[in-house]
Amino acid sequence: MKVDPTVKRETAYVAISSVVLSVVMELVFIIIGKWDYRVLLGNLLGAGIAVLNFFLMGLTVQTAVKLEEKTARDKMKLSMTLRSMLLMLTAVLGILVPCFNAAATIIPLFFVRIAVALRPVVIRDKSTKSEEKREG
Amino acid sequence: MLELAIGIILGGCALGAGCAMIAGIGPGIGEGNAVAKACEAIGRQPESQGAVTTTMLMGCAIAETTGLYALVIAILLIFLAPGRFVNILLRSI
Repeated sequence: MKVDPTVKRETAYVAISSVVLSVVMELVFIIIGKWDYRVLLGNLLGAGIAVLNFFLMGLTVQTAVKLEEKTARDKMKLSMTLRSMLLMLTAVLGILVPCFNAAATIIPLFFVRIAVALRPVVIRDKSTKSEEKREG
Repeated sequence: MLELAIGIILGGCALGAGCAMIAGIGPGIGEGNAVAKACEAIGRQPESQGAVTTTMLMGCAIAETTGLYALVIAILLIFLAPGRFVNILLRSI
């Protein structure tokens, strides 16, 4: 199955944002003096699953837009259920397995939301810079 | 009496987690509707597929966060809250 360039681009944006936000989170843990290897492992698990979840959603959307309305709706609902189960499993793993820090596993799951919220700022900044270059 | 109190705590936590997961229904329906409307839009204007897909991806990501909040609250209520509440109860006796 060929991945749509839009999905690739957006997943790359979300992945880069997750890496940046993960570094910020690690720094916060270091500053408050709570950092240990479990924070790093939890962060890797949470951020990885968050990006994977977004990519799977992109793949579903890419397939669904080529289908009929009703089939697309059902496909999206099924995908949402399965991806929610994946997130639930991740959060449960983060809480129950001692080698993961619970907070460091759960917080990265929200990085996608933060990345999407910051997107207009980043995109506007890029477009402003390119306009300045053209004018300059 | 203590067993009854612990039972009420555990039952309350489970009930709370179940109530929290009601919020998980909304994003599924919302995403489904968004994709259905996107299909309609692309059917009308096939050249706008890229723009529609980008906007929809972002919209779906935002919609899904609501379900994620509910999921996290439910997991905290199931795994962390009962222990804390029972400890508080035992300390107060």
